Parts: sequence; structure tokens; C-alpha cells
Amino acid sequence: MTKNILIPIDFCVASLNTLKLVLESNKAQKISVILVHAEYLSDSEMDLLFYSPYNIIDKNLTVEFKEALEILKNRYSTLEGIFIKLFHGNNLNYMQNFLSANKIEEIYLPKTYQLKQAKRTFNSVTLFKRSSLPVFEMDWEQHLNETEQEHLSALFNRSL
Amino acid sequence: MKTQTKAAILIGLFCITIVVLFGFAIYFFLNKYSFGDFYKRLETRLSIAEKFYLERDSLNTEKVRQLFDQHLEKLDKEQEYVIELKSGVSIQGVSNTHDFPKLFLETLMQTGKGQARKGNTFYAGLSENIKGKRYLIVVSAENYYASHHLIFLRNIILISVLLVILIVLFFSFYFSRQIFFPLSRIMDKVKQISTESINLRLDENNRSVEIRKLVKTFNELLSRIETSFETQNNFISNASHELRTPLTAIIGEADVALLKQRSHEEYQKSLQNILTQAERLDEITNSLFFLAQTGYKGKSILFERVRTDEVIFEAKALIDRINPRNKISIDLSLIPDEPSKLKIKANKQLLHIAFCNLLGNACKYSNNNLVTVYVASTDNQVIISIKDQGIGIPEPEISYLLDPFFRASNANLFEGYGIGLPLTKNIINLHNGQIIVKSQLNKGTSVQIKLPLYLD
Repeated sequence: MTKNILIPIDFCVASLNTLKLVLESNKAQKISVILVHAEYLSDSEMDLLFYSPYNIIDKNLTVEFKEALEILKNRYSTLEGIFIKLFHGNNLNYMQNFLSANKIEEIYLPKTYQLKQAKRTFNSVTLFKRSSLPVFEMDWEQHLNETEQEHLSALFNRSL
Repeated sequence: MKTQTKAAILIGLFCITIVVLFGFAIYFFLNKYSFGDFYKRLETRLSIAEKFYLERDSLNTEKVRQLFDQHLEKLDKEQEYVIELKSGVSIQGVSNTHDFPKLFLETLMQTGKGQARKGNTFYAGLSENIKGKRYLIVVSAENYYASHHLIFLRNIILISVLLVILIVLFFSFYFSRQIFFPLSRIMDKVKQISTESINLRLDENNRSVEIRKLVKTFNELLSRIETSFETQNNFISNASHELRTPLTAIIGEADVALLKQRSHEEYQKSLQNILTQAERLDEITNSLFFLAQTGYKGKSILFERVRTDEVIFEAKALIDRINPRNKISIDLSLIPDEPSKLKIKANKQLLHIAFCNLLGNACKYSNNNLVTVYVASTDNQVIISIKDQGIGIPEPEISYLLDPFFRASNANLFEGYGIGLPLTKNIINLHNGQIIVKSQLNKGTSVQIKLPLYLD
């Protein structure tokens, strides 16, 4: 059986370390992961008229992030599927609906790593902690500055 | 053809086509309308003539004639014909005597009605049988409007089209020159730039955004060329300096040894010194030779299918032999499951040299501290990352790192000639790969190499 899990990301390569840790510790289990980027919907009517999650994701996806995903996919054959989704509501109901709609079974959060906060983003980690599903916090040591977190080298991490 | 003329001709042709089409359409439709209108007028006269001649008995002909003459405008050269067709007369005969078009008469006989035009004269007619006799009634007139007004209109249109063509041609050439003027100015300026005046730059203050971008790109290109020029110049001075140092040492040593009679041990010692320097010289020339060889786009270099991780392990084995105290650890936590995702098209010897250089550097500049090598692969390339915890490279010097004989300002304590990294870069370039160096002073350096996968 494939297990559906959820991991919040900020489109920095460093945030994929959570996924790497999960895959490393569940080598027998097939996993399908939904990477969630949390941000409020735009207030602008124009933006809402032409709202397209694909465009928003595409705009944020960096080459290095894509490469990192490919590396993980090539490394772990247990990784069945990777989906990137946007998460727009900072409230419990929205979260519960989102989780049940995507048939999420487990949530994995970074423990010490702080997701990068951009213009309209909000801290989804605290919200996901309140969910009724099993929540696991993954910890890794990393002392990188902000630009380094976006580089591919953030994935090459000794302490894992 | 010059783009300028091309653009001008395109714009000109486009405008001219529109104007010509417009003029032609006006003339054509007005002409058609005037013909239709004129036939209607002829037909009115025809029906009056029919009534007048064929029902002459029952009408007060004088009165009717007067009435019509008063109220109907007389057309230019208006003429009415009433022809009784006698059995002996052929159509040809009628056509000849009255100068009617023959086709007109034929349709008249067949359908009983007809219209025709001969030059500027218009005909309308009908044929009727009355009391056993066959009559042809024809009204003809000249179309004054068509002959005068339309010709006048045609002339106006022709002249104005010609004028418009002239104006359009003038303006399209003028504007295209105006548009391309900055380009020709740039060209003039670029022509002034030669090897001696490579520090000249183009003026970036142009109103047009595209031109500004072009100028900027040009300037960036010039900057790059200038840097590589400097590197070339530096290369020669550096190379001669590097070669001269051991030579001077050899000459000096030999000179001193030959000054006076020396003991056996002293000769041995100085010969030993000369040998060391000569070996160093040999090493430098060898690596220079390699650098030159890899610098040319490989003609005789053989490429085969190579497993990247194998090459790295071999390189590590070699470093282990040269420098047993090294701490190189190869991290395979991200290595792909499929071995095919590690295979690249490469020359094994060259790649071996490149990795040995990188690993050797990493150990050397970190005083045998921990060096970690990561191997991973995306869907189309293998990524190798070599991280050390060494002295790092000062930020402004990173861009010169891959130039021959360049040595970072903080590398003086370590032995080296500054040939290893340029050689590595050449090798990676030969394999269509990328090399990215990132570094933090006193914290460490990370070199990332991306090589394209061998895809079947």
C-alpha cells in the first residue's frame, strides 16, 4: 500500500530534507508525497480572475528545487509520486478538508528548520501541528544562510 | 539586403497595397453603380417610347410628347429607334444600318429585352409583336456622368494614389532609417574598438529600451572579452615566471657549486637540489602540456561509457596513495538506485585527472580535514559535489579561480602553480559539463560538477 504523506515546503532545497529523512527511515514503505506551499490568496481581483495554481507553483519552482526532487526520485524507488499543492487557508476547517480531500495519512514537519516566509506566506507548521492525523517532526542540523538554503548543496547534508 | 531597406519596403508595400485597393474599390463600385443607374433611366425612356409609338392610335400623341419633354431630362445624344422587322431583313443588316452591337440584337430577339454598351453609348431595347408585325424599340444615349465625372474621379484617384505612394515611400524609408540610426551609430562605435582600445564602452543612454538592452549586452560581452584578454596576458607573464623560478634555482645552484673545488657530499647535495628543481620544472611543463591539449576541442579524445562513481573511487584510491592522511569520505546517501543514472559519456583518464585535482586541492587547502563527496543524479545529469572545510577563497577572487596560474591571495602557504583548476575546467567543458565553485572564507569551499547523463 502506498502511504500518502504531507510535507510543508518553501521552495528552498533545504526544506526537502524533511522528505529525505522520511524516505531514509521508511525504506520498505511506498510513499506518495504532497508538498504543500502555504500562502494566502491574493486580495487583487485581477489576480483572482486569472488564478491558476500551476502558474503560481511554476513561478516559485527553481531549477535547483526541480533537480533536488529528481535526485530524490532517482535515489528512492519507494517514492511513488510527488505532488506540489498550494494551501490557502490559515484555519482548522480548511486544513481538515484539505487533508481528507487529499487522503493524507501522516504529516511530517521540520523541527528546527524555519520555512522561509515570503510576501503572502503564513506559517503552516503550527497549523499542521494541530491536526488530528499523526504528526511527526523531523530534525536535522544545518547551519546555512538564506541563499545557501536555495542551493542544491542544501540537500547534500552530512548530518542525516 | 539591409534590414533597414527591408523594413521600409515592407511598410511601404503594405501601405501602397491598401491605398491602391481602396482607390480601385471606390472607382469600381461607383462605375458599376453609375451603369446600373443609367440603364434604369434608359429603361424609363424605353417604356415611354414603347407607349408612344405602339399605342399611337389611342393617345393624344402631341400632348404626351409635350408632357414628357417637359418633365424628363433630355439625355446626352438620346435617340429613339423604332424598327419594324420585315421578313427579308437579317439581324446583321439591322446592326449595320443602325450601328447596334450584334450581341445586343440577338439577346433582344431571343428574350424580348436587352441592354448593352458600346464605348460610352448605352443601349436599352425591347421587341414586341403587334398586329402580326414585329417591332424593335431601342433607346440609346451617352452616359455623360460616366464619360466626365467618372473619368475625373479616376484621374483624382490615380494622382492621389501616386502621391500617397511617394509620401509612403519617403516616410517608410525615413522612419526605418530613424529606427536603425542608433544601430548604425553602435556599429561605428564598435568599429573603433580594437585590441588596443578594448576598454572602450558603448553609451548606454539610449531612449529605446531594446537598443539599451543591446548596448548593455554588448558592453557585458566586451567586459568578458577584456577579462579573458587580461588573463591571456597574465598567463604568459605567469607562465614565464613559473618556469623561470626553478630555472634560476638550477642556474644559481650550479653556479655556486662550480665556484670552487667542493667535497663529494657537497656536489651530491647540490645535484640533489638541481634534480628537485628540474622535477618541478618537468611537472609544470607536463601540466601545461595537458592544459593546452584539453584546451582545444577534442579531436583525438576517445569517449566511452563511464560510471561516475567508479572514477571517483579510483581518484580517491590515488589520493590515498599520495597522501595517506587524507580524510575523504564519499557519501552515497543520494546515489540513484539505477546504475544507468550514473553513466556518462566521458574519457576516463581525463575525468580521473579532473577528480584527482579537485580531491587533491580539497585535502591540501583544508590541511587534511574532512572532505565529503556527494554523488547524485537528476533525470538528465549527474551531480557531484565536493565539500571541504578548508581556508576558502575570498569572494572577489572566485571568478578568476578558473584562470590559469591564478592563485587565491590566501593560498601562498600552500604549494601549487594554479594549473589544476583550469585543467579541471577544461576537462569538464570537454564533457559538456558545468563546474560551479562556491566558497566562504575560512569556512570551506564546495565545488559542484554537473555532467550530462549518457542516455540511450
